[in-house]
Amino acid sequence: MISRRKVIKSAAAAFAATPLLSMPFVARAQTAGRVVIVGGGFGGATAAKYIKRRNPDIAVTLVEASPRFYTCPFSNLYLGGLRDFDSIGHSFDELTDTYGVELITEWAEGVDGDAHTLTLASGETLGYDKLLLSPGIDMRWDGIEGYDEAAAELAPHAWKAGPQTELLRSQLEAMDDGGLFILSAPADPFRCPPGPYERVSLIANYFKESKPSSKILILDSKDAFSKQGLFQAGWQELYGDMIEWVSLSNDGRVIRVDAENLEVETEFGEIHRADVLNVIPPQKAGFIAEAAGVTNEGGWVPINPETFESQQVSDIYVVGDATIAAPMPKSGFSANAQGKVAASAIVAALTGEEAPAPSWANTCYSLIGPEYGISVAGVYRVENGEIISVEGSGGVSPAEADAEFRAAEARYAVGWYDAITQDIWGSQPA
Amino acid sequence: MAILDGRDPIAQGVVLDLPLISENGAVVPLGISIDRPMAEDEYVQAIHVFAPANPFPHIASFRYPNARSTPRLETRVRLNESQPVVVLAELSSGAVLVGESEVRVTVSGCLTMSDTYDTESVFQTRVRVEPGAPTSVLTLINHPQETGLRTNAQGEIIPKRLIEKLEARIGDELVFEADLHRSISANPYLRFYIQPDAPGTLDLVWTEDTGETAEFSQDVA
Ligand SMILES: Cc1cc2nc3c(=O)[nH]c(=O)nc-3n(C[C@H](O)[C@H](O)[C@H](O)COP(=O)(O)OP(=O)(O)OC[C@H]3O[C@@H](n4cnc5c(N)ncnc54)[C@H](O)[C@@H]3O)c2cc1C
Repeated sequence: MISRRKVIKSAAAAFAATPLLSMPFVARAQTAGRVVIVGGGFGGATAAKYIKRRNPDIAVTLVEASPRFYTCPFSNLYLGGLRDFDSIGHSFDELTDTYGVELITEWAEGVDGDAHTLTLASGETLGYDKLLLSPGIDMRWDGIEGYDEAAAELAPHAWKAGPQTELLRSQLEAMDDGGLFILSAPADPFRCPPGPYERVSLIANYFKESKPSSKILILDSKDAFSKQGLFQAGWQELYGDMIEWVSLSNDGRVIRVDAENLEVETEFGEIHRADVLNVIPPQKAGFIAEAAGVTNEGGWVPINPETFESQQVSDIYVVGDATIAAPMPKSGFSANAQGKVAASAIVAALTGEEAPAPSWANTCYSLIGPEYGISVAGVYRVENGEIISVEGSGGVSPAEADAEFRAAEARYAVGWYDAITQDIWGSQPA
Repeated sequence: MAILDGRDPIAQGVVLDLPLISENGAVVPLGISIDRPMAEDEYVQAIHVFAPANPFPHIASFRYPNARSTPRLETRVRLNESQPVVVLAELSSGAVLVGESEVRVTVSGCLTMSDTYDTESVFQTRVRVEPGAPTSVLTLINHPQETGLRTNAQGEIIPKRLIEKLEARIGDELVFEADLHRSISANPYLRFYIQPDAPGTLDLVWTEDTGETAEFSQDVA
């Protein structure tokens, strides 16, 4: 039997291979301007595709260090043993083959905003009319005493999907039943506010099935977290007292890490020893943003919310986690929406069209168990040069809901993932 | 302003450590230090902190009764909206220093805010003393620091209930004193520094507006 999914897949492949469809982009003299994009993740890949969709005459070069992009969204399902790693990987084939984006698999190292050039690790330079950066985050290696890159090889952060995520999974698999998993969560702002709590949920689900005497301790640098009431009720319901959360005011803030011994020390001097230790340190915009001179002293990028152009350097646009777009959260959903706004603004600037006034929606789904989903949604627009959250819109899942409701939200979460990865990378559901 | 008493503050030497943007106005970390070469007989006597756009702008005052003080603090404050935080430092010479720093307050999507405290452990204290020159004293008391401005789910005003004072003594000598008001975050948190001139016992006393107190003692070198 041929599954419906397979048919769709091969139909898509045939579509992509049709010369009539891909030819025009190659044949066109790309004279409407030259855009260089750094980062093929949620923000950057979206912008590349949507610039080409709106105007194929614009030359778009995408500089991305990895040959394949692995998403942080759903990496928690992989950590919980609910998905394989491959299923969260996405290729850039649609961007290059269908949309005619030029792909350079390399690190970008420097930007000269006056000369309008980007320098690659190889030393090559690329000229641009407009530069778009969506580099995501870098860790602040000076944020917690003792937690540097070497320490992350023993106590992974797994806050960028890739080898760090695989390392954490292998440690969880190797842990004996009855072990203690400790997650240290950072203060705001950081990538994906509900992410740490979804992570412990799905690891609890794995423990419940495979290592039921194990415990989970969250040491938090905050007194409150995203969807807290829903998470805590879900933990109680699904995992009893397996998960313990220690707030900032109950001495949850980790100030020192001894990765060698898997020990952490909190502010008031408590020492906790883990069997598997996951430290999510404080963060900042990816280094290329700083190199381009677009970050402020806080380490993030102030942008003009109508266009996502930098407030500090003209012709450089920045989207995604690297930006200061609060009240929009640092989410893949936001990065995707911002990538589209920046794409419109860039196309408009290059061709003299008017850019539409932006408004955005964001929904963050989290899974507490494979069939237990919750969400928080918001709608945003620009008022007086600032992004504001539209009053009376959005909201969180109800506190009282039956199993069917939670199961439906878990299905919507999968639907969301399939839809957004198709929108960005043209991927078909795994 | 009464504190100024006609004096002109000098915009110098007050160093504020505040985030440019806070995604949770209920808990904004604030660091203060005074960076100014002090004359022999000139030391910081008091530090006053204000949030002009809060319903009650005066956040706190910190007093150093003797010259062996290190005017450096860390605390957590409430900011109702985006605004500058203003700090005045009174010197024993009569001079007043001023500094300010702007904070943008937003509530980020994906975050649900609550000004939380642990109802079971109200009045529980935590203290960490780290000897050195100067000795650091890190303190926290579990307490709602209820402003009297909030309503509960039934729309009734939650009565005001505040930790108003923290005093630190070595032996009988008062070495540090803090007046805390409504804009100090729940679970009042304070790091301050002392320079004991001889070994003794450090006694801390927190006082609530009801008169109820919490205490802590530890020997310091
Ligand atoms: C555990 C976890 C779960 C999450 N779950 C969700 C979720 O369910 N829903 C949701 O909406 N969001 C979720 N997120 C958040 C989401 O992953 C991020 O918000 C999103 O990836 C941000 O997109 P971005 O484009 O800013 O950065 P990224 O997607 O990280 O893309 C940045 C890319 O730039 C590349 N790059 C960086 N610097 C350079 C350089 N100098 N040269 C070349 N390439 C470079 C990197 O290799 C990377 O591929 C989650 C995050 C985590 C950690």
